Amino acid sequence: MNAGPMVTPARLWLAYLRRSPLLVFVLLYTVVSGGPFVWVAAMSLRTTPEIFASPYALPAPLHFEKFADAWTRSNYGTYFWNSTIVVVTAVALLTIIGAMVAHALARFHFRGNRLVRFVILSGMILPPQLVILSLFQILVELQLYNTLTGLIVVYVAGHLAMTVYILEGFFAQIPQDLFDAARLDGYSDLEIFWRITLPIGTPALFTTVTLNFIILWNEFLYAVVLLTDDDKRTLPLGIMHFMGSHQLDIGMLATGLMIAIGPIILLYAFFSETMIKGMTAGAVR
Amino acid sequence: MQRLGAQRAEPLPGHATPGSAIDARRAAPVTLAVLLGPALLIYVAFAVYPVLRTFWNSFHTIKPQGLEVFVGLANFRDLLTNDWVFWKAVGNTAIFAIVATIADVLGGLLLALCLFSGAPFTRLLRVVWFTPVLMSYVVVGIIWVWIYDYDWGLANVILRGIGLGGFEQSWLGDPRTALWSVMVTHIWKWLGFNMIIFLAALHALPTEVLGAAELDNCGWLAKFIHIIIPMLRPTIVNLLVLSFIGKMMIFDLVWIMTAGGPLWSTETVSTYVYKRAFDWNTFDLGYPSAIAVLWFLIILVFVVLMTQLLRQRARLEF
Repeated sequence: MNAGPMVTPARLWLAYLRRSPLLVFVLLYTVVSGGPFVWVAAMSLRTTPEIFASPYALPAPLHFEKFADAWTRSNYGTYFWNSTIVVVTAVALLTIIGAMVAHALARFHFRGNRLVRFVILSGMILPPQLVILSLFQILVELQLYNTLTGLIVVYVAGHLAMTVYILEGFFAQIPQDLFDAARLDGYSDLEIFWRITLPIGTPALFTTVTLNFIILWNEFLYAVVLLTDDDKRTLPLGIMHFMGSHQLDIGMLATGLMIAIGPIILLYAFFSETMIKGMTAGAVR
Repeated sequence: MQRLGAQRAEPLPGHATPGSAIDARRAAPVTLAVLLGPALLIYVAFAVYPVLRTFWNSFHTIKPQGLEVFVGLANFRDLLTNDWVFWKAVGNTAIFAIVATIADVLGGLLLALCLFSGAPFTRLLRVVWFTPVLMSYVVVGIIWVWIYDYDWGLANVILRGIGLGGFEQSWLGDPRTALWSVMVTHIWKWLGFNMIIFLAALHALPTEVLGAAELDNCGWLAKFIHIIIPMLRPTIVNLLVLSFIGKMMIFDLVWIMTAGGPLWSTETVSTYVYKRAFDWNTFDLGYPSAIAVLWFLIILVFVVLMTQLLRQRARLEF
């Protein structure tokens, strides 16, 4: 790595040459991991006959009108808004009530403290299949089946564990002195939460918001079981439905895929580090 | 805001002297109720209760209109003794969980080492390599269904292009290749995740140790086997367990790419549970509940065993 005191261009090239197998592999894997998305992006701007004529050509002319078409006539607009409503509401609720629980667990000693922590955190290892079958029954009984509200509540319950786990780890590191001082200043318990824990915990909140946003935006299993009407479908369901009924309309499907991954790609372009950190937050301790 | 005012009227806070940490750690019951109430309500109603009810359901036959008939252990008996589709699904899930977990962890480590050993553009590369992790299974699944397409899919196009046209396959249509094809897609999606975790762990390694190895003229392979692997053991164990749990429950990708077909060659336990509950005309939630319960217990046992075994070995070596 250290080329010595004299870094001449020739030496640099020699160093690169010696590592060429590594470079070839790295380049190859970059194409393998990113290539499919470039391909879909290209197809999203081409019509199906064009794609069938040559699947791997570049888009020329650019059919931007396909996005308008997909948005209105193929119902992707509805799916997009449903996804947005569900995900934004669920993430907001998760963040607020998750932070409240995390604050209580990190700050206070109380009876049942361990029980509450155990019950909530054990949610992290529950397989969805164990919950989904009876959730179907329960939502039917509560008349929340096939409603966006039902899906939101289920999402909140299902992702509370991970949210609390991440937030509590962070909140517990905030020095206790800060809270003692706030108490002396006459802050109430809830003011302390609102005016100290939340502002200081903002980085951790960002992490959980990112994590929950991505996971819920992509969520498929709960949605497919709990929603049936076409005008309630979220994006993943809408795309699957379109795949089922227009399997051969590759061009339109590709446009739908781009609508689904567009927001994620856009956010990723600007906040890649935050998103990487968010997605991997549960795995590193 | 009304509540905040009421809270402040309480006598306590002023008396909490800096020395008495116990007081600062004690909360009024109202505070606790406000902080924990909403979460517990939703969590108990939509996570704890459903789990208990699934356990309850597994001992019953549940017909539409909520008709419940107690059948004892009959569901489990049927499942274990005369349901060959279930066993096929268990076999597929086991192959998937074992092979894909190992490939995922090894592959992630390999990618991380590529970046760690000084490939150029490291920051950009890790961002690109991580992209598939952010995409939904629906997106990834559909893209790969196209890649595996017999006529114009990339896989066959490449094979024909390099003169190996004889190996072209209907990758997802042939029972012999379908499971492996889905597995490749799954590994592709998650490699970047493990790569990031390993990369962080590698950067956290004490540089003196690696430097000392360099001074001792230690070859890179020896360095890898004798230094890096042992020092990364906690990370490796963690990722193996995490990855294994995920794969034992795999549903989305299989459902989107093959729906368990052809001929049950990609049927996993989760897709079978879904089919028995919502797709077959059996109208019984009891039997699939029994599958879900049994499978959960099996996963639990494996996770405990894996953590114990792998951790124990780590302890013995140090």
